[in-house]
Amino acid sequence: MIRVEYTEPPEVAGSIAAVTLARPEKRNALTPEMLGSLASTFEHMPREIGAVVVSGDGAVFCAGFDLKQCAADPSGETMRSLLAGLSVCVSAMRALERPVVLGVHGSAVAGGCALLGGADVVVAERSAQLGYPVVRIGVSPAVSAPFLGASVAPGAARARLVDPGVISAGRAMEIGLVHELCDGPGQTKERAADIARSLACKPGVGVRATKSLLNHITSPITDRAQDGLGASLSLTGGDEERDRLGALWS
Amino acid sequence: MTDLAPLTIQGPVATLTLNRPDARNAMSLDLLAALHERMDELESGPGGAHVLVVTGAGRSFSAGMDLKAVLIELSGDASLGKKLLTSLAEFTLRLRALPMVTVASVNGAAVGGGCGLTCVCDVTLTHADAKLGFPEVDLGLCPAVIAPWVVRKLGPSRARAAMLMGGVMSGADAHAIGLVDLVASDRDGLEALTRETAARLASGGPNALATTKGLLNSLDGSLERDAVLRGAELSASVLATPEAQGALKARMKT
Repeated sequence: MIRVEYTEPPEVAGSIAAVTLARPEKRNALTPEMLGSLASTFEHMPREIGAVVVSGDGAVFCAGFDLKQCAADPSGETMRSLLAGLSVCVSAMRALERPVVLGVHGSAVAGGCALLGGADVVVAERSAQLGYPVVRIGVSPAVSAPFLGASVAPGAARARLVDPGVISAGRAMEIGLVHELCDGPGQTKERAADIARSLACKPGVGVRATKSLLNHITSPITDRAQDGLGASLSLTGGDEERDRLGALWS
Repeated sequence: MTDLAPLTIQGPVATLTLNRPDARNAMSLDLLAALHERMDELESGPGGAHVLVVTGAGRSFSAGMDLKAVLIELSGDASLGKKLLTSLAEFTLRLRALPMVTVASVNGAAVGGGCGLTCVCDVTLTHADAKLGFPEVDLGLCPAVIAPWVVRKLGPSRARAAMLMGGVMSGADAHAIGLVDLVASDRDGLEALTRETAARLASGGPNALATTKGLLNSLDGSLERDAVLRGAELSASVLATPEAQGALKARMKT
């Protein structure tokens, strides 16, 4: 459900890795296995890869966690694995020494939007919807707070995390979460791949040093990733979450 | 000898001009030394001025680091790059710490370190056709001295995309992402915009402005020297790599 393709054999310098969420029949809803596979992909990226592009198959980039699986597991274990897996995955994207470009078509909500926190450049379809609308199902998006806080201004981050609504790609660009808008899903994916290719062609030492430096500058916020995950985990398995998740299918 | 950084004062508004127009106001050790001398003057009391406009002579604001000076093969001095970067780092810290409100009037290309300088200023003005950006990664370099200032100006996400993607953008696009605060439609319009903006800023109480700026500097970590000075070391070490020297050499030939 995670597909990894290389433009050239991965041992060729300047090759890009295309990582695709490939569960289109479920709007690429994330399972613990998918997040594990994504994290592992980033943790074990071949050294020669110059840049990574992330996108999704089907109608949308990603609808977030597979809530049906969560609702079917009253122990809360599935939700816990998802939250922990998301945190590890976003951290691995950020820690990768090469730039990560992400293309959002359709929508990127909740855990799907959280993946933007690991990207260096985000291209979005003009009509896409983005946000973290999870407080209405009794889930705290605190796990994403350290990564969103390391991207956009504190006021905008706060508003996004407490608001169980979504915003347009245009608004996401105004607050700095998205860097470029495209018309249509095909163009969005092509543009994201183009940017990754152009980044992969740049001299690698400067690019790696620059990304590491930027990671260092924002590390006071991203170093709180465990606190964010802890806050989200503290609610898992509670009554509010169980009732609201259950109500989605009643 | 030409004054590389003339400072003029007219009432409450001082103007500091980068004056190496033949080299697109690229920052050489001499230009930076002149800028440091001007900081000495401004720190000891700018004669009633409490707004400082920084601009460039000729058609550019500043092309950034003097590439001739940092190409080891040409300068014959491998330590020059670090000297330049350290001097630039110290200059950005002094400019930021001035109690005066600083305005970058970007009259033409502001590239690399030149664009970084605009981020150190409190307010940035330009015209729609100016070129701004951070092409360091295209040359195998790392914009480490200016990165902290760019992050403070743009926010981390936009700074990340701008510095990793490299290249340059128009004044209009720079305005859209917040790299520029006010944009005139053309070069002539920028002169008027600069006069108006400087006069409006100068109408503020000098103490109120200095207190506000001081607070903002302490809130956003602007007074911390370490990140910027360590940036000079990092940037110098990347600059000395064969990859960067090779890319710079190729650029000099074009």
